[in-house]
Amino acid sequence: MKVPALVVAACLLGLSEPASAHLVSTRFGELYSGLMHPLTALQHLVPWLGLGLLGGLLGSHTSRWVLLAFPLSVGVGALLAGMLPAAAAIDHLNLFSFVLLGVLVALATRLNRPTFIGLAVIVGLSHGFANGTADLDGVPLLLYASGVLLAAYIVIATATAMTHMLSQRTAWGTIAARAAGSWIVAIGLVFSGYSLMSGLMSAGPVAAG
Amino acid sequence: MKNNLQNGLRPLLAILLPFYAAAAFAHAETGVAGGLVSGLLHPILGFDHLVAMVAVGLWGAQLGKPAIWLLPITFPIVMALGALAGVAGLPLPFVEIGIASSALVLGIMVALCLRPPFWAAAVLVGLFALFHGHAHGTELPSAVNPLAYGVGFVTSTGLLHLAGILIGVLVRWPAGDKLVRVCGVAVAAVGLLSLTLAFGPSA
Repeated sequence: MKVPALVVAACLLGLSEPASAHLVSTRFGELYSGLMHPLTALQHLVPWLGLGLLGGLLGSHTSRWVLLAFPLSVGVGALLAGMLPAAAAIDHLNLFSFVLLGVLVALATRLNRPTFIGLAVIVGLSHGFANGTADLDGVPLLLYASGVLLAAYIVIATATAMTHMLSQRTAWGTIAARAAGSWIVAIGLVFSGYSLMSGLMSAGPVAAG
Repeated sequence: MKNNLQNGLRPLLAILLPFYAAAAFAHAETGVAGGLVSGLLHPILGFDHLVAMVAVGLWGAQLGKPAIWLLPITFPIVMALGALAGVAGLPLPFVEIGIASSALVLGIMVALCLRPPFWAAAVLVGLFALFHGHAHGTELPSAVNPLAYGVGFVTSTGLLHLAGILIGVLVRWPAGDKLVRVCGVAVAAVGLLSLTLAFGPSA
């Protein structure tokens, strides 16, 4: 007895497994969610680039440990956010760090190693906390925090390495970094002022991203 | 014969008529993308903004170090303060006249290759930056993301400075020096035109 080819095809189709094309539906989804959150939020991405620019200007001796300390602080901050209540002071600290990092880059301030590491840890904890406060209900926290940590490492390592290379190998590298710092100050001033004036800090959606 | 002509014209008309269609802006500028686009375009679409920004770079290149990089660093920071005043609704008198004057004065500086002390150049550029920033801040669209708008107009302004600096590199050669000064004349002419319009009946 010959089974019609159409019936075989229909049965085989019924045996097929669902295709998980979107990683959010897999168990690693929250890792990617954490990874993308700071990369798509300018209020985190721009100051992190500022920290990387500063690290590149300060040189490898000073900034080497920040490549480790900053992402870890961001990860710890994101974890803490899942355990502690949200605090408006964190948003204010993030706005302040936005402008401060830009000023430090624009002035090419020579920080010593302990000061720079301390600054990176404070900025990391504060920004990590702000990343963690966004919709963490029912999310595997450790996986999400690992994603945020990974994003912080990618940004800081790339920005530091690029700035260090350009400032060492070209005459205009340091000037370009300082000009970028002035842009960060300007953007930070506009955003901080707007946020504080329009009461977005209390509402939260822009500040917390 | 007549039918043949009509038959030949129809496809031609069908091809030509779409060229008369105006662009349809179906999507209002909103969110992060709208803020970025709006901020990036604002200094470029205002011709007096554009030439004044380029003139800052040109003048910096003529003045050499440290003005070549300190003027473009000073400008965005002071501009941000002006933008904040604009966002806050603080009135700044004669904004349009200030912007037009910036193009006129900076154009004259470049055309005549004037070299005041660095502090005087920084104060002058900073003063003009206040007017430009105030205009950007006042025209912040309510629907867009303010941070993205800030990133847009600061980046656009910085890139226009860079364009001016790159053109200004020509001052190393005698012919290039003349060309840069001609650019200064053009900037001053645009400034004068804008100033005339600012004082005009529609102002």
